[in-house]
Amino acid sequence: MWIYEKRLQYPVRITKTCPKTAQLIISQYGGPDGELSASMRYLSQRYTMPLKTVGGLLTDIGTEELAHMEMICAMVYQLTKNLTVEQAKEAGFDAYYIDHTTGIWPQAASAMPFTAKEFQSKGDAVTDLTENLAAEQKARTVYDNLLRMITDPEVREPLKFLRAREIVHFQRFGEALEKTKEKLDEKNYYFFNPEFDKKMMR
Amino acid sequence: MHLAITSVPVQNWGELYDQDEALKTGTVFKDLDLPFFAAEQVPAAASSVMESLKSPEEKEFSEKMLEIQKISFVMDDLRLYLDTHPDEQEALTMLKDILKRRKQVMSEFASRFYPLTMDCMAELYEREPSSACYCWQKGAAPWEGVYC
Repeated sequence: MWIYEKRLQYPVRITKTCPKTAQLIISQYGGPDGELSASMRYLSQRYTMPLKTVGGLLTDIGTEELAHMEMICAMVYQLTKNLTVEQAKEAGFDAYYIDHTTGIWPQAASAMPFTAKEFQSKGDAVTDLTENLAAEQKARTVYDNLLRMITDPEVREPLKFLRAREIVHFQRFGEALEKTKEKLDEKNYYFFNPEFDKKMMR
Repeated sequence: MHLAITSVPVQNWGELYDQDEALKTGTVFKDLDLPFFAAEQVPAAASSVMESLKSPEEKEFSEKMLEIQKISFVMDDLRLYLDTHPDEQEALTMLKDILKRRKQVMSEFASRFYPLTMDCMAELYEREPSSACYCWQKGAAPWEGVYC
């Protein structure tokens, strides 16, 4: 069950139309390391997690990622809501405009559509938590790259906030992996799959 | 230490930012505040947002909304900490206080402006049975980035 709260996690107020910036940050909506991918990854992985607490962490982070997705979409929306056809042409936003006008659609900066092919739910707690550590780092790199390129402070402030969250989530997934390791065979962490061979856990 | 597996040190409870600094930084934990050099090179947005607000009502709305965002963000960050540190009493004590304050500001916001959740609506109708206020009819959508 989810309950909607009518507010953003962090304020987004962008006053300057800039389709070029919209085209870049839309990657964090529908791109390979975007917030939609992140949310679906954690909310898919949680069901078979052997540790109840790790399933809980995945639920909480997966839920926060939905709020991040909403922030990114709000940014794309505000950057394009007063868009003219001329601005779309000049900024190279014309191809997106043809397909979606100024509607919000999950795609990468490269225009590749959102796909579940880009995230994993592997049914092995060590594998999935290691994937999540890498995923948080990949998302952080995207925010680093965006912060190098975008100069508007109204866009940068929410991006800086989102980047900081990737680091906190990395730390939490690391701690979740440590908790999982405590339940494994300490001489050989790969002796069994903690999600499939649950009975062998300590 | 083990070979062939990732190890991340478990965080210890340490110095915290206040709620203003926490929302600005993206974490309440000082130890996890690890900024990117290129992000610091452009000066942060001045407090132009607050200054650009015209009416006192807009100002009040935006201050109250920001207060909810700050308190709720401390709640979000503490929740994740408690997920991996369920026995940390200081974190739990702090969460209890935050939840109490959050309930209070959410309910004040519902009376003054509009309810943010169904539960806020329930409380509002309890206080004001004749209220005709429904979640979506008042105020702009959150993604509009405007006040009131």
